[in-house]
Amino acid sequence: MATTVATAGDHVAGAEHHELGFIRTYIFSTDHKMIAKQFLVASLVFLLLGGLLAGVVRWQLGFPGQPIPLIGSLFSDTTAPGGIILPEFYNSLVTMHATFMIFFAIMPLMLGVWGNYLIPLQIGAPDMAFPRLNTFSFWISIPAGLIMLAGFFVEGGHAGAGWTSYAPLSADPAFSGVYMGQILWLVSLTIVGFSSLSGAVNYITTVINMRAPGMTWFRIPLPTWALFVTSWLVLLAIPILTGGLIMLLLDQTIGTGFFAPATDGEPLLWQHIFWYFGHPEVYILILPGMGLASEVLANRSRKPVFGYHSMVVAIISIAFLGWVVWGHHMFQSGMNPLLGTSFMISTIIIAVPSAIKVFNWLGTLWRGNIHLDVPMLHALAFVSMFIIGGLSGIFMASAPVDIPIHDTYFIVAHIHYVLFGGSLFSIFAGITYWFPKMFGRMFGSKLGKVHFWITFVSYNLVFFPMHTMGLKGHIRRIYDPNQYTFLESMQPLNTLITVAAFVLISAQFIFAFNFFWSMFRGNKAVSNPWNSNTLEWALAPTPPPHGNFVGTPRVYRGPYEYSSPESIDDFLPQHLPPDRVQRPPVPRDPGFLPTGD
Amino acid sequence: MSSHTPALQGNLMVHDSTYEPGIQIYNMKLGMWLFLLSEVMFFTSLLGTYVILRFAHPDHFADPGAVLNVPLTAFNTFFLICSSVTMVKAFAAIQKGDQKGLKLWLLATILIGACFVGIQAIEYGALVHEGFVPMAAKYHALGRTGVEGGPIVGGPLYGSTFYIMTGFHGLHVSIGVICLTFVLIRAMQGHYTLSDHRGVELIGLYWHFVDLVWIILFTIVYLI
Amino acid sequence: MTTESQTHGEHHDPPYMLIFFVLLVMTLAEVGYAFLSLPKFWLGFGLCVMAIWKALLVAMYYMHLRWEPRKLWLLVAVPIPLVIILITAVLTEF
Repeated sequence: MATTVATAGDHVAGAEHHELGFIRTYIFSTDHKMIAKQFLVASLVFLLLGGLLAGVVRWQLGFPGQPIPLIGSLFSDTTAPGGIILPEFYNSLVTMHATFMIFFAIMPLMLGVWGNYLIPLQIGAPDMAFPRLNTFSFWISIPAGLIMLAGFFVEGGHAGAGWTSYAPLSADPAFSGVYMGQILWLVSLTIVGFSSLSGAVNYITTVINMRAPGMTWFRIPLPTWALFVTSWLVLLAIPILTGGLIMLLLDQTIGTGFFAPATDGEPLLWQHIFWYFGHPEVYILILPGMGLASEVLANRSRKPVFGYHSMVVAIISIAFLGWVVWGHHMFQSGMNPLLGTSFMISTIIIAVPSAIKVFNWLGTLWRGNIHLDVPMLHALAFVSMFIIGGLSGIFMASAPVDIPIHDTYFIVAHIHYVLFGGSLFSIFAGITYWFPKMFGRMFGSKLGKVHFWITFVSYNLVFFPMHTMGLKGHIRRIYDPNQYTFLESMQPLNTLITVAAFVLISAQFIFAFNFFWSMFRGNKAVSNPWNSNTLEWALAPTPPPHGNFVGTPRVYRGPYEYSSPESIDDFLPQHLPPDRVQRPPVPRDPGFLPTGD
Repeated sequence: MSSHTPALQGNLMVHDSTYEPGIQIYNMKLGMWLFLLSEVMFFTSLLGTYVILRFAHPDHFADPGAVLNVPLTAFNTFFLICSSVTMVKAFAAIQKGDQKGLKLWLLATILIGACFVGIQAIEYGALVHEGFVPMAAKYHALGRTGVEGGPIVGGPLYGSTFYIMTGFHGLHVSIGVICLTFVLIRAMQGHYTLSDHRGVELIGLYWHFVDLVWIILFTIVYLI
Repeated sequence: MTTESQTHGEHHDPPYMLIFFVLLVMTLAEVGYAFLSLPKFWLGFGLCVMAIWKALLVAMYYMHLRWEPRKLWLLVAVPIPLVIILITAVLTEF
C-alpha cells in the first residue's frame, strides 16, 4: 500500500502559493489546523493550571491547616497567610478549579482542538466554512482567559461561589465577600461564550455544506458526527448561560433583583437557567470524547465500529434527551417535587443510549486484533472509567437516593469519573493518536505508556475512594471536614487521596515533556502510521498542507472497513475507488465473524 | 473567502455544488440562520425570566398602559415593521440589479432603525424620570398620571425585566444599524451585483429577525 | 453537476406590501385587543396567537423561509421545543 512521507512545506499542486509572513502563519492564521494547535497549547496550559489549583485544594484536605510546602510563601496574606489556606481562598480554589477545567481546558480541547482539526480533514473539505471567524474564535478566548486569571489578583479575591455560582450568594458581596472577582468571572464567561458560539456556527455549517462528494451522512467518521451534534448543543445552550450571566452581573453591579429574595427575585430561577445550560454542557464535555474513543478503538482493534448506525442514533438521542434532564442537579433545591419526578424519569432513560454506546465499544473490541498502543490504552481507560462514572450517575438519577448523596463526595467522584476518566482520557487518546498527523512525528511510546499507567493508577486512587466517602457523608466543597466528628475518621483517607493526587499531577509533567520532546525529536511519521481508513490519514499528506487535499476528494465507502473480506489489507480507505481495491487471493476469515457452529 | 476553496460553482446565491448536497443554501446564509437560532435561545433566557417572574410575582407588574407608553411603542413597532419593508425592498432591488434602489432603500432602513432606537431612548428617559428604573432599591414607578407621590405601580422586578429585555433588543437594533451602514458603504462601492448580493441578504435576515423579536417582545411586555 | 437554480426573485414575487398591511392591521388589532375586558387568560392567549402569527409572517415572507429548502425549516424549528420546555417546566415551580 502506498504510504507517503511528506514534510511540512510541501507544495500541493494546484494550490496557490501563499507567502504569508510569520504573523499570518503562526499568530493570526485562518488555517483550521494551526488554530487547532493554538487551542491545544492554550488549553493544555489551562489544564495544567486547573490541575495545580486542585493540588492546592487537596493540600488543605490532606494536610488541613498546614502551610503549603515549598511555595507557601508565594501566596498573599489574603489567600494563604504563612502558606496556610484561608477558607475564602479555598472556596475560590474549588470554584476556579472547575471553571478553568470546564471552560478553558476541556471545552477548548474538545471543540477548539478536535472540532477544528478533524472536521475539515475527515469530511474532505479544504478548511472551515468561515476561516476568519475561526481565527476570531480562538483569539477572543485569550482575553477571556486572562480576565479569568485576573480575578485572583483583585481585592476580595476570586469568585468563590462554586462554578455553578448560585444566587443570591454569588450576587451579593455582603454574602460572599467577593465583588470584583465575581464580576470578572461573569464577564470572562460571557466573552468565552462567543468563542464557543462562533466555533459552533463554523462546525455545523462546514459539516452540512462542505462534505466531499461521496461523503454521505452515514459515511462520516464518528469523531466528526459527535462534534457536529455537540456543536448544536453549544449553539443552543451557551446563549442561555449568557443570558443568565448577564442577569447575575446586573444583580451584582446595578442591583436589579432577578435572583435576590429581598426584592422578590427567585434564586431557583438562577438554578433553572444555569442548569438548563449546564446539563447540555456536560454532554458537550463528553460527546466528542466518545467520538474520539470510537475512532481509536475501531482502528486499534482493526475492526469496524460495532453498530455504527446505532452509535450515531445514540449520540443524537443523548443530545435530545440532554435537554430534559437538567432538574436532576436540583433535586434538593426545594423545586416542585412532581417536576423533580419527571426529571428522575428522563435521567434514568438517558442512561440507555449511553449504555448502547458502551456495549458497542465492547462489541468493537470483541475478537479484535488488539494493538495496545498508547492511544488504545487511553481509549480503553476511557471506556472502563466512563462505565464507572455512568453507573454512579444511575444512583444519582434516583431522587430519593440523591437525598443523602447530593453535594457529597459521591457527586465529586461521579463528576471526575466522567470528566477525567471519560473526557480527559479520551483527549489523551486523541492527542496521542493524531499527534503524528499534526506534527509529523510519532508520540513517544515508552514515555507515553509510563505516563498512562501512572496516571491511570493514581487517578483511581484519588477518585474511587470518594464514592465511599460521599456515601458516608463527606460534604462537597468543604474546607474543614474535621469540624464534624463523623468526618474525622476519613482524614487518613483524605491524606492518602492527596498524596495520590500529587502523584497524578506530577505524572502529567511526563506527558508535557513527552509532548514537546516528540514534537521536535520524535521518530518521523509515515503518512498513515495507524493504517486508518479516514481521509485525514489515508489521503491527506502528513502534515496536511494549506487546503488539506489536492483537488476535491471522492469518497466511496464508510470509515470503518477494517479487516474487510474485500481487501487484501486489514483496512480499506474511504477514498479508494472500487477498481483500485486489491482483493485477497483467497477468501479471508477476519476472525470475528460468526462461524455458524 | 480563502483562495484555497475550490471556485464556487453554480449560482453563488444558492449553494456550492462542489460538495455533497447539503442544505442547498450557501454557507454564509446557513451560518446566519444558525446564529439567529442562538439569538432565539438568548432572548428566551431573558423573556423566559420575565414570564416566570411575572407568574411568580404578578403584583410586581402592571396592566397594559399603566406604566408603559403603549401608543408611543405601538407607533415604534409600526416603524420597525416599516424598516423591514424597506429592507426587503432593498433586497428586491439588487435582485434585479437596481443599484440605486438598493442604496436608497438601505438608507431608508438605516434611518428608520436609528429613529427606532432614538424613540426608545426617549421612552427610557421618560420612564426613568418617573422612577421606573432597573435598580431594585431605587425602583419607584409613578402612575401614568405622573403625579408625584402618587401610588407606586408595580415592583422592582418590573423595572429589571423591562430594561433587560428591551435594552438588549435595542442593542441588537443598534448593532444592526451599524452593520447596515457598512453594507450601504459597500453598496456605494459597487460591491453588490445581480449575481452576488449575499451580504444584502445576510443583513436582511438579521434585520428581520430583530423585527421579529420586537413583535414578540412588544406583545408580551407592553400588551399583556 | 451544477444546479442552475434561479435566484429567488425570478420564480416568484413575494407580496411584500400585502404582508406589510397585514402586519399593520394586526398590530392595531393587538393593541385594541389588549384593552378589551376579557379574562386574563384569553387576553394573554389571544395576544400570543397574534404575535406568533405576525412573527411567522415575517419569517416566512420577509426572511424568505417559504421559498427555502424544507431542511432549513427543520433547522429553524429546532429551538422552538426548547423554548417551550424551559418556560413551561419552570412555570410549574410557581
